[in-house]
Amino acid sequence: MQLAFYITSAIAVIATVMVITNHNLIHALLYLVVSFLAVAVVFYLLGAPFVAALEVIIYAGAIVVLIIFVIMMLNLKEEAVAQERQWLSRGIITGPALLSLVLLAELIYIIVGAQVAPSDAQIVDSKAVGMSLYGPYVIGVELSGILLMAGIVGAYHLGRQKKKIVHRFLEEEAS
Amino acid sequence: MSKTDFLSVVPLFILTSAAILILFSIAVKRDHKVIYVITTVSLAIDFIFLVWYKATATWVIEPLFIFDGFGTFNTGLILLTALAVTMISYAYFEQREERKEEYYILLILATLGAIVLVISKHFVSLFLGLEILSVSLYSMIAYLRKRARSDEAGIKYLILAAFSSAFLLFGMALVYTAVGTMEFSKIASHLSSLEAMPVIVFAGFGLMTVGIGFKLGVVPFHMWAADVYEGAPAPVTAFIATVSKGGMMALLVRFFTAIDGYQYHGLILIFTIIAIASMFIGNFLALRQGNVKRVLAYSSIAHLGYLLVAFLAGGTLGIEAVSFYLVAYFITSTGAFGILATLSDRDRDAELLDDYRGLFWTRPWTATMFTSMLLSLAGIPLTAGFIGKFYLVAAGVREHLWLLVVMLAVNSAIGLYYYIKIIATMMEKNEVERPASNELNPSVYVVSGVTMAILTILLIWIGVHPNGMMVLIHELLALD
Repeated sequence: MQLAFYITSAIAVIATVMVITNHNLIHALLYLVVSFLAVAVVFYLLGAPFVAALEVIIYAGAIVVLIIFVIMMLNLKEEAVAQERQWLSRGIITGPALLSLVLLAELIYIIVGAQVAPSDAQIVDSKAVGMSLYGPYVIGVELSGILLMAGIVGAYHLGRQKKKIVHRFLEEEAS
Repeated sequence: MSKTDFLSVVPLFILTSAAILILFSIAVKRDHKVIYVITTVSLAIDFIFLVWYKATATWVIEPLFIFDGFGTFNTGLILLTALAVTMISYAYFEQREERKEEYYILLILATLGAIVLVISKHFVSLFLGLEILSVSLYSMIAYLRKRARSDEAGIKYLILAAFSSAFLLFGMALVYTAVGTMEFSKIASHLSSLEAMPVIVFAGFGLMTVGIGFKLGVVPFHMWAADVYEGAPAPVTAFIATVSKGGMMALLVRFFTAIDGYQYHGLILIFTIIAIASMFIGNFLALRQGNVKRVLAYSSIAHLGYLLVAFLAGGTLGIEAVSFYLVAYFITSTGAFGILATLSDRDRDAELLDDYRGLFWTRPWTATMFTSMLLSLAGIPLTAGFIGKFYLVAAGVREHLWLLVVMLAVNSAIGLYYYIKIIATMMEKNEVERPASNELNPSVYVVSGVTMAILTILLIWIGVHPNGMMVLIHELLALD
């Protein structure tokens, strides 16, 4: 179990270093997904299966997909297609794929071996999370809602403005 | 939830309802005046409720909040400052922005975040309050999209604030790993059961200092201050300088007192270095600026350095000194930025020194008010700033922090130069006639003018007759 933890942590660290050092955005993102998955496995090993699932769904799922959408929508020119083909060449996938395979092997080993958590850690399941969020921390949940409201109102205001004309000559032309 | 629980959180509740009410009001019809009135009234009602409710004892809502005298005092201070900022915002935004309504939602939410910050006794509420404050500020700073500098300021604040939040979170995580709780009092009792502070906890506190220091804008986390102050709209700058920094300062005092940080020499050393560096670097950089907003930015760095002197002194006197200085500093900063806002025209803020040349001859009243604000910042007798500084020195001397007190005195002298320089510029005769910038109905400016006048009177009144404020602070802090 200890060994599994260290291997997963090493994968997380390696993948994150690759995210930072990679110059190609798509490659960096692939490693980012691996990093999130590794963190999810770490959570699982520490006895927090619910958080592990959230990590996969929210971070590796929703957020990364969102980032990919933004990147792809920013380059809609013809050369972008060629570039995309180059980005998704087979050689690129090897690194992330290998790391993910290691993670998968580990996960299978854990599940088959039925070792869920180290004996000294208590398992926090989804019920416990819910009880604490809607029990003592309910004001915190409400405050998170307000936080989102602040974010949405701000994004709405900053996002709705027309493209501003920076140069004064262009301004005259436009008017 | 008991009745006292409910009554204690009513100030938060009023602000949230006001934000939602404004949202609905925008959905029905966009009317700047209506939304301005809603904001003003809700902030005023909130303050009146706070005074009326007058908690007689400390009340705790487990595990997140504590409502004690210190928290109540800071809540009231934040509410009044937000009210003053709202007052100066109306005329400012009326002539600049077509969509001005969302600003008030963000202002109210930022105020809410700051209040959560000053009443929190748990890392969760600390972080949530801080984030509500920061997220609202991102958009408030970049609110005037047509200005060249606003985007730059907004992006700078966004990236640096996100970074500093990450540091803060990591620090909290380290403390939690070692201690196993996120409540201030429990961290304290756990730490006191140990002989020495574990390295991991110390590292955690160090990382948290980065996050806290960024919000306070103290050296070496001050890089954002000047650019953000310059790029943000003047009322927002007033808000950052006062509510955002004051909220964090109150939290720092609460946290440090709770864990009894004074027994750890490492922490004291870190904060001493930060205080001295902030005073010197803030003042020296301010000397070289030609832009009034940047001067005020650097001078606020120095002022936070002064505040840290009383914070390091600790004890009842130290906390009283911090509270009193915050009052004086809030009044002065809001006033100074308010005057900057009223002098600004449609395209840019009145931020260059040249905008103030000969102000005494063209607008004597405004110039007089601005002069009294600057003199208070410099700490000249008969102003609130003087009493505040006196309080700081008294707190420092009592704890024999001679080095810090001497540094404070030296820096006050350095600071005088740039404040006097602005006043001298206002005294100069101006040959070139500048066109009057006020294009709106003069009644719009009455509100701003009256607010400025009230702030000036308060400033001098507290400076001449500080007893009332001192007794108030003393009584509230003695509450248990």
